[in-house]
Amino acid sequence: MSAGATRARLPASGRGFAWLLLSPTLLFLIAFLVVPGILLAGLSLRNVDSMLNIQPGYGLSQYILVFGSTTYANALFTTLWVSLGTALLCVLLAYPAAWLLVNAPTRTVRTVLYVLLVSPLLTSVVIRTFAWIVLLAQNGLINDALRNLGLIDTPLRMLWNMNAVIIAYVQVMLPFAVLPLATSLGEIPQSLSRASMSLGAGRIHTFFHVTLPLTLPGMLTGAIIVFALAAGSYITPLLIGGRLQPLLPITIYQQAVQIANLPLAAALSFSLLLITGIVVFLLGAVLKRWEKRTYG
Amino acid sequence: MADVSKQAAASVAARGPAGLPPAPAARRRKRPDGLKWFSWITGGLVYVFLTLPVLVIVLSAFSPESYPQFPPRGFSLRWFDALLANPAWMAALKNSVLLLVIVTPLTVLLGTTAAYALARLDFRGREALLAFVLSPLMIPQVVLGIALLYVMAGMGMAGSLLGLAAGHIVVALPYTVRTASVSLAAVNRQLESASMNLGAGPWYTFRHVTLPLIKPGIVAGAVFAAVTSFGEVSVSLFMSAPSTITMPVRIFSYVDQTFDPAVNAVSVVFIAIAVIALVIIEKTIGLTKVM
Repeated sequence: MSAGATRARLPASGRGFAWLLLSPTLLFLIAFLVVPGILLAGLSLRNVDSMLNIQPGYGLSQYILVFGSTTYANALFTTLWVSLGTALLCVLLAYPAAWLLVNAPTRTVRTVLYVLLVSPLLTSVVIRTFAWIVLLAQNGLINDALRNLGLIDTPLRMLWNMNAVIIAYVQVMLPFAVLPLATSLGEIPQSLSRASMSLGAGRIHTFFHVTLPLTLPGMLTGAIIVFALAAGSYITPLLIGGRLQPLLPITIYQQAVQIANLPLAAALSFSLLLITGIVVFLLGAVLKRWEKRTYG
Repeated sequence: MADVSKQAAASVAARGPAGLPPAPAARRRKRPDGLKWFSWITGGLVYVFLTLPVLVIVLSAFSPESYPQFPPRGFSLRWFDALLANPAWMAALKNSVLLLVIVTPLTVLLGTTAAYALARLDFRGREALLAFVLSPLMIPQVVLGIALLYVMAGMGMAGSLLGLAAGHIVVALPYTVRTASVSLAAVNRQLESASMNLGAGPWYTFRHVTLPLIKPGIVAGAVFAAVTSFGEVSVSLFMSAPSTITMPVRIFSYVDQTFDPAVNAVSVVFIAIAVIALVIIEKTIGLTKVM
């Protein structure tokens, strides 16, 4: 959105006016994003007694509990791995999808593919998760189909485990990986791969040495978005993973809503924020380095 | 490994993408291409994976049976009737629509003005401020939910429609900022300068020159805000009271306990709304530009 060379300096009155226009949004975000964040940070430093009453004074007891107990540490690691795995799977599946989108033979086909890709994003996540319940349940459609085909006698248990969570995650978040990748792919001039091939490289060699490196930024952007989304969502795992999965967002939800231990939920929230922040920062740093290396 | 791509990128930078001569026609002879077929088939399968769940719930919503069935045996609208006859679903729908009506104009107002200011101002930290405005997209939703719950409870607004509206605006704001920014980037700045040179003030110029030019982006932003608010559940679940339950929150608790095609019928409503939203976005700003 930066206008680059066409950016003319606004006259002073225009600048004041622009700041005036910006201020309601900033005030709103301060009131409903920054202040809640600060209050939550304060809350995470409070102690509670055995009845979950908040005690006077501040301390790190909640964080010691989070990082000291195997339960929460396990949830943290599981969340990290599930989110990274989801991001990886999304990028892998996004590649053929983005390729098809960019190389669609006609405008109509491209529009149809775009609609297929974007319409899930505009449909509530509860609906998309519900669709997987319909498919994977014991009396669900996949079990029905397998039984009718005579492949199985007793229905398979496909819900209430981490695989179901990952399958649903991948489907729910895949468009976020496809879109930036398609942008990257679309920006590569056709002549590049032709040049590579006319210099004697095969298609596969060309893909791994020309196309793939040039689309790395799109892949990383998609991976970052998918990872952040997966690490923070609790609706999908609650509905199809079951309440006992060791995932941090589920734990936070339960501590806040069911057990009403808000200080612990706050400390878990900031631990999640910290961990996802570190991963997003690292992936972002790789992205920056790669772009610098490629484009100078 | 990156040498080829580096050189290739460098040569593009030097000559521009259009500056490369076309490859000689002789090099592009037609031959059976296994790799191409492989890409087509895997790509197609990914789209099937993406679409199948939605197709299945829509089709089984019209099933007369008392559990979702695919392919449906027979056709019936009984689950849609059940929906209309159930006051709890209708109350949830009323709350969702009410929220959407509050949230959409406010989000568009905040998002458009912020996008305009951030596009026109030029100062150190502009990028950081833009990142801040877009940050609700990247903050884990469970964290956003609990933070808002805590502050709303402190203000006595927990469970109120206004509290929910504030949460929805936070979540939807980045989308309207993005769509307005896309439109703003295409505006010819000289039109604004001309208006100001002719003596119009910044407010008059914004109102009569800039706004009409970025109308498509504003409409697309409004659609995004409405759709986001209508489907929002992660933040709402923390903040809704029994009297302010929205459609997605009700679906969540319903799905949690029961398993019948009433939810399929609700899903059809949601999917229809998504399709309408898509058409509006495509007609205004173009799908490819905003996503």
